[in-house]
Amino acid sequence: MKFGNYRKLLPKIVVGLLIALIFILPVFTTSLVTLSKFVQIGFWAIAAMGFMLIMRTGQISLGQATFMGLGGYTSAVFMVKFGLPFWPGFFMAGIVAGLVALAVGVVAVRAGPIAFSIITLALAEIMRIIAVSWEPVTNGSKGLVITPPTHIMLGNFEINFATSAVPNYYFIVILVAITALIFWQIDRGRLGGIFRVIAVNPTLAEHQGIPLTKFKVLAFTVAAVFTGFAGSFYAHFLGVMSPDMYGLWQSIQALMMGIVGGISSLVAGPIVGAAVLNSLSDILSRLPVYSIKPTLFGAIVLLVLLFLPKGTGLIDLWRIFWSKVYKEKPITTDNTH
Amino acid sequence: MPPAGILVDGLVQSCIYMTMAFGMVLVFSILGILNWTHGQFYMLGAFVVYYAVTAAGIPFPISILISGGVIGGLGMLVGRYVIERVNVPGLGLLYVTAATVALNFFFEGGAGMAFGLEDKGLYNALPGVLDLGSFSVSYQKIAVVIFTLVIMVAMYVVLNFTKIGLAIRAAAQEPGAASLYGVSVGRLSIIVMGIGCALAGMAGAIMAPVYGVNPFIGGLPLIMALLAIIIGGIGSLTGAIVGGLILGLFSSIVPYYLGYISELALFLTVITLLIVRPQGLFGVPIRR
Repeated sequence: MKFGNYRKLLPKIVVGLLIALIFILPVFTTSLVTLSKFVQIGFWAIAAMGFMLIMRTGQISLGQATFMGLGGYTSAVFMVKFGLPFWPGFFMAGIVAGLVALAVGVVAVRAGPIAFSIITLALAEIMRIIAVSWEPVTNGSKGLVITPPTHIMLGNFEINFATSAVPNYYFIVILVAITALIFWQIDRGRLGGIFRVIAVNPTLAEHQGIPLTKFKVLAFTVAAVFTGFAGSFYAHFLGVMSPDMYGLWQSIQALMMGIVGGISSLVAGPIVGAAVLNSLSDILSRLPVYSIKPTLFGAIVLLVLLFLPKGTGLIDLWRIFWSKVYKEKPITTDNTH
Repeated sequence: MPPAGILVDGLVQSCIYMTMAFGMVLVFSILGILNWTHGQFYMLGAFVVYYAVTAAGIPFPISILISGGVIGGLGMLVGRYVIERVNVPGLGLLYVTAATVALNFFFEGGAGMAFGLEDKGLYNALPGVLDLGSFSVSYQKIAVVIFTLVIMVAMYVVLNFTKIGLAIRAAAQEPGAASLYGVSVGRLSIIVMGIGCALAGMAGAIMAPVYGVNPFIGGLPLIMALLAIIIGGIGSLTGAIVGGLILGLFSSIVPYYLGYISELALFLTVITLLIVRPQGLFGVPIRR
């Protein structure tokens, strides 16, 4: 081919332009309403990525809200009760979420994949009860009022999170980018292969000398750390942390965004799923119909699972689209992951 | 010793958790998956009996059977058109969990849209109380206990002394060998799905006069049935019954002493049990 393989290049250019657009978006708009939608999408994208990382090892966590709430509460308590600034609390949020996931994971993983789902579901409920009833620390159901991240000085240039939405927007973009890079490296490296073999054929994995429990707990912990970071930042962005913010529905939303985006894709799928479902949720919450959101979300997940090829989601429609446009051989999808 | 009324309440709750957990384990033993929509079948069963009694004027006991039939049919449809289609070999567990969790919220939201969110009472279906000297028990609660006993005996008879029960036990033990002996495991799994869902629907129906009906009543029985299954051991029918009994009594006696924190005690007990015995009380060691 004369001009290089432009057919393969064009999709990459489109994706690159989209990413560039995300980075220069504040040039076009600095309105709080628009940018906070993007912050929300970024937060959900990280949560959904965490869910998908756990799902890579063949387990379904129905308690991702635990780690969002744990992250939020850790840095909120550090700020309100100990008077610390945002940054130490932010890193502690990830560490605490990771430690809890490690402790729970060791127990839950041993009991098998079904019990894992049930225990993570119960864990979210336990966390809610603790948050409500441990009043001296969490302020009970009244919640904690917190401030946005403390400002950073770069020479003479001040990045102030409190006055404008733009720094918050860039914060979440960078957080999503870091999470995506790390998860992408995990997915394409040796660890990703190990996760997949654990999910698809645990017996084979065990006979290859792979310690199942260790890697399942590892995936659970890594997912929890990043969900904790995201939860911490999101709580500071909203300025409040209360027990009602993270419940079963929030855990399920992480599941739905991951699945709708595409089961086979660890990074792009959750981002697309979070963007689609979050925008949809915004539209639906303006409608005067009660409980249409769970109905429609459930229906969308079911449609994706039933009618798209197994292991794919919305992100794969994009690939199929490009292969159709250029009359290439369509990408076949297997149902292994 | 807590008052007798609390023990009776615990027994009533045990009955519901037992019926729910039994249905779920029955489905699990054939299909190898947990049906996370089970709680919504409970809720829909309550709605069916509510509309059968108030709108159609059918007597309450017959309405319960109608509810079982309707929900059993719905369960069969779900089994045929959702679970069977996503239960791919290898990763079926993930797909089925995701699909049934989604279906759970689809039903909950759908019921909210169709029937409204407010509480609907069916409180005069079985009026009257039985006076036992120091305390009294309403006929509705007695009906729940009797209903559960009847269901359990019926299930025991069906599973042990009928041809379909033999087929179910065979398919649960060794699906390959069962199909060699002429058991259609695929069709059987649909039937079992129907039975399990009918149990959930009837449990919801019998509880409708006790607690009232709204779209959100399915969540708690689902979680409790799941915990009962974990306590008893995943895949064990005896375990489901014993787990349900323990949980029902636990969740009504412990709050009497501990109040709001009792849920925490409940979950911590379950987790402690899992540390000591990951396969549950009656479970076989886990096949991972």
